[in-house]
Amino acid sequence: MTTAEKTTQAPTGPILRLTDLGVTFTTETGDVPAVRGVRLDIAPGETLALVGESGSGKSTVALAAMGLLPGNARATGSAAVGGRELIGTPEAELAGLRGRAASMVFQEPATALDPLTRIGAQIAEVIRNHRTLPAREAAREAVELLRRVGIPDPEQRATAFPFQLSGGQRQRVVIAMAIANSPSLLIADEPTTALDVTVQAEILDLLRSLAADAGTGVLLVTHNMGVVADFADRVAVMLEGEIVETGTVEEVLLRPRHAYTKRLLGAVPRLAVAEPGAAPAGAGETPPAGDEVVGLREVSVRFGRGPRAVQALSDVTLTVHAGETVGLVGESGSGKSTAARVALGLVQPSAGSVSLFGTDLRRSRGRARRALLAGVGVVLQDPVASLDARMSVAECVAEPLYVHRGRMTSAERRARVEDVLERVRLPRALANRAPRELSGGQRQRVSLARALVLEPRLLVADEPTSALDVSVQAAVLEVVSELQDEFGFACLFVSHDLAVVQHFAQRVVVMRAGRVEERGSTATTLLHPGTDYTRRLVAAVPVPDPVLQRRRRAARQEAPAAGRTAAGE
Amino acid sequence: MANLLYLIRRVLQAVVVILIVTVVVFCLLHALPGGPARGILGPQATAQQIAQFNHEQGLDKPLPVQYVYYLRTLLHGDLGTSYTLNEGVSQLIAQRLPKTLVLTVLSAVVGLALAVPLGMWQAVRRNKPTDYVITTLSFVAYSTPVYFLGLILVLVFTQLLPWFPSQAPQGDSLGQVFADSNALVLPVIAGATSMVAVFSRYMRAATLENLSEDYVRTARAGGSRQRAILWRHVFRNSLTPVVAMLGYYVPVLFGGSLVVEQLFNYPGMGLLFWSAAQSSDYPVLLGCVLVISVATVVGTLLADILQRIIDPRVKAGTS
Amino acid sequence: MSAVLQPGQAPGVRPPGEPAAAAGRSGTRLALRRFARNRLAVAGLAVVVFFLLFCFVGPLLYSTDQTHTTLTQVNLPPGGAHLLGTDAVGHDELGRLMFGGKVSLLVGLAAGILATVIGTLWGSAAGYAGGWVDAAMMRVVDAGIAIPALFILLVVSAISTPGIAGLILILGLVSWLVPSRLIRAETLTLKNRDYILTLRAIGGTHSRAIARHILPNSVSTIVVAATFQVADAILLVAYVSYLGLGVQPPSTDWGGMLSSGLTAAYSGRWWLIVPPGLAIILVVCAFNAIGDGLRDAFDVRGRG
Repeated sequence: MTTAEKTTQAPTGPILRLTDLGVTFTTETGDVPAVRGVRLDIAPGETLALVGESGSGKSTVALAAMGLLPGNARATGSAAVGGRELIGTPEAELAGLRGRAASMVFQEPATALDPLTRIGAQIAEVIRNHRTLPAREAAREAVELLRRVGIPDPEQRATAFPFQLSGGQRQRVVIAMAIANSPSLLIADEPTTALDVTVQAEILDLLRSLAADAGTGVLLVTHNMGVVADFADRVAVMLEGEIVETGTVEEVLLRPRHAYTKRLLGAVPRLAVAEPGAAPAGAGETPPAGDEVVGLREVSVRFGRGPRAVQALSDVTLTVHAGETVGLVGESGSGKSTAARVALGLVQPSAGSVSLFGTDLRRSRGRARRALLAGVGVVLQDPVASLDARMSVAECVAEPLYVHRGRMTSAERRARVEDVLERVRLPRALANRAPRELSGGQRQRVSLARALVLEPRLLVADEPTSALDVSVQAAVLEVVSELQDEFGFACLFVSHDLAVVQHFAQRVVVMRAGRVEERGSTATTLLHPGTDYTRRLVAAVPVPDPVLQRRRRAARQEAPAAGRTAAGE
Repeated sequence: MANLLYLIRRVLQAVVVILIVTVVVFCLLHALPGGPARGILGPQATAQQIAQFNHEQGLDKPLPVQYVYYLRTLLHGDLGTSYTLNEGVSQLIAQRLPKTLVLTVLSAVVGLALAVPLGMWQAVRRNKPTDYVITTLSFVAYSTPVYFLGLILVLVFTQLLPWFPSQAPQGDSLGQVFADSNALVLPVIAGATSMVAVFSRYMRAATLENLSEDYVRTARAGGSRQRAILWRHVFRNSLTPVVAMLGYYVPVLFGGSLVVEQLFNYPGMGLLFWSAAQSSDYPVLLGCVLVISVATVVGTLLADILQRIIDPRVKAGTS
Repeated sequence: MSAVLQPGQAPGVRPPGEPAAAAGRSGTRLALRRFARNRLAVAGLAVVVFFLLFCFVGPLLYSTDQTHTTLTQVNLPPGGAHLLGTDAVGHDELGRLMFGGKVSLLVGLAAGILATVIGTLWGSAAGYAGGWVDAAMMRVVDAGIAIPALFILLVVSAISTPGIAGLILILGLVSWLVPSRLIRAETLTLKNRDYILTLRAIGGTHSRAIARHILPNSVSTIVVAATFQVADAILLVAYVSYLGLGVQPPSTDWGGMLSSGLTAAYSGRWWLIVPPGLAIILVVCAFNAIGDGLRDAFDVRGRG
């Protein structure tokens, strides 16, 4: 397929032109302007990345460019696709443009497809929305599209239901639907955010080659600077509904002009990488210094019974020593969270032993067990679900005191709560607020305050910042390391983000499919991985430097395909 | 394989439920004032007559023994003998049950056929006057006792407008029942009304929920029109939870047949049960409770299986 | 029909996610504001308040003799001294509507609340315990649901004639099953919330988890369930008289008035059935509308 073939239908000039676009939402509490005065152009074959943090209005711009804004939104200005104005156009006419002139790939592949319709039929539906052709013909084309997006055995897979596919494969199906009618504009809203890094790399490769083949213009909405560096030609940075900076990817990522862009890029954790081909330094595990705080020994965990049982962990051995931070990394389903839950005593191992502060956790009961657990602090991933909405911030933070320091007077308790809130750098005034009134970052600090109120010897943090924007993440992690220096607690830090772990942990344990794949000091393991799997994991992480990332991508794509699992992720 | 395992597990569950039901029924049997004997021999019976009756019926043995006897007779399909009709309870029920099933299944089919499109229509026209009007009407339909509704139906459609007979078909065989289809109209309306009310509400809620799902947005992004999205995607997805609810609704349907049959003098199990209650015919009462409960358990099981047929995810056990 | 599942209260099909309620502090205020904007729900509230005043304050203003028969004044049509006419034994129909309403409302409210309490205890215990305890407790619920309530009530009526307290108890005992399923589902989602996991990980007790987190967070679900339960119980009370299990003369309730007026309706004495019929429909509708409004306002199951 050549570029010329596809660009004939698009006239010269930009495929997408937004002029002075504004979007206002009508809500229960009044009108909220989400986007103001946005102007941008996308030329045929060009990829523009629209970046910003949550609430910046970037997704709203994407929906406006599809004419898909929800009912309570009001758009002003102009949004034109291939010269056709969208704002004010009746729904029936918009339906004729969607999927043909412009189409869209969404963030959440798990929910983007109709669960009860076979994927082939869903693709065929998009085809037949815009072209009159017999059902059988459309079905054949759907199979062809599945082949193009790299689904193995497409004839057979076309009859599968979405739940039978992995997340990456589902995203490929959504992409197949998007390109079914060769649109001149493809809008991708965080297309890889819900995916593991290795899958993300494959999906980005696929999108890049499809767009290049057909000369499609791409509007890529993302918060991930690494993805931007990997994929975009030009970048527009959004802040609070407005575009604050536009330029080529090199200009914006390497020589940012606007203060916000600089701040944003400064907050992005960067994975330090060895230059391709550099020789590994002396590998091996540095012996940890202090006493063992928590230890899993040959732990196996099996969920369920009978033929449906799932082996979540097999023979996992893991230790954390006083004062150190151990990063537990792996892709989704690798068992890293389960391992953390075993360490916390929330999940009972089916084999192996768990010791906490030198005592066997499974043997201790009642008061002794509770005394043991008083030395543990916990921060979990979800900032919303981590705090009981019915309690005030002070009550949330004080909960461990009620559990373990029953004899404290309320004045002592209040003093302790205020003290610890101050340490996580939250104003005292927040103590009486409800969690709902707090931002995500503030909530995670409240969780952190709760975890530290008893001055624990061990902090277990399961993806504590993965729901947060990068700038907020940086601030929260900074607080954790400061407090760690001050109190000297050990930390088991679970994360999917290699860059964060590299900055935060001294030792790292890489997990894969319920087993420990590799372990060692962070510096050596993540720079010069000892196993193929870790090497692939590291290679798949996009770095926010377009020049370096281009080299890394080339190196990754050259790497023997043996390790890569085509599309069978 | 997964299907078979599921089926086995589900049937075992049903058996456990039925066993619990037999315990409840057995307890009821022994909660009767003066035991079953007093009920049948009447208030004039002497203590000696009662004792003799108890001995003949095996009612003087310890309770667990009686329960085992009871279960054993149940397994032989023997539900005892009617005190007043001098006929086996099993035979009585076997004659009547098919008629009740005809009535309830017809009511359910008519009710669903109306409720599903109505609920979808409401969801599409959410918060518009039609939605409010239908919502209010379904509240009224739900809140009207069936016997009151039946009375109004009879007054309007047999007296004011003499369109339908006030009696349900009286024929002995199902063929005769169906032949007199005109006479089935009012009983079926009475039986279906609250079902329309309840299930149109479910369907409205399910449709609204599905309309806000991501896959609807994907379909719109692919250029599908509202009507196509509604019928091709939202309809089936909304139907799944509604079918699941159907299982829980089976006992309500049977409960309704009790009143409807009495109102329209339809000789099904409801009417049998009713007259047994008037004459304190305990074997018939408890036999009916048992059979209705088993029918309910089976109905729920069928609804579950139907749901698994519609939704492939349930089949794979991933949902 | 009674003892029914309410629309939207789908046991077992409740989707996860979405914190159960816009709960606590300003959340409650927000929910109340949402409720106030729901016209149907506000109208329902007005109807309930009206009938409570009508039945409990009304007799003080409009006093009638509901114990003795007045055979000189039977079957009078509405008008004159008897606004709604008189019945077959000469009771004033308007006064009787108040008199019977007391029983209907009292029994309905009490039985609905009793059913919710039993259901809450059973359902939360099963959901929190999990495993085989949960399975066993839920099979009992299945068995209870499998026996249609009307059949049980008719059997009971063949055995005995309970008083008002007995009636409340029986109605409560046949209708706790649906709320128990709802509360169980709620407990199942709540007990895996991150804040409960965090509490357990630091050694918090089960009683603390239940008392401080699970019950307070189930309040909105329980309140909504109770409202629907009261609606169903009032309807069930109306059936109970029809089945012959109702309160004994000279006392009565709306259902009793309705079923004893059934034959009169054929001879044209509509005033004996229309007022109690309308009263039942209005009150049950009202409680359903309130429940619907509360559910939407507290976001008990999506915003719908």
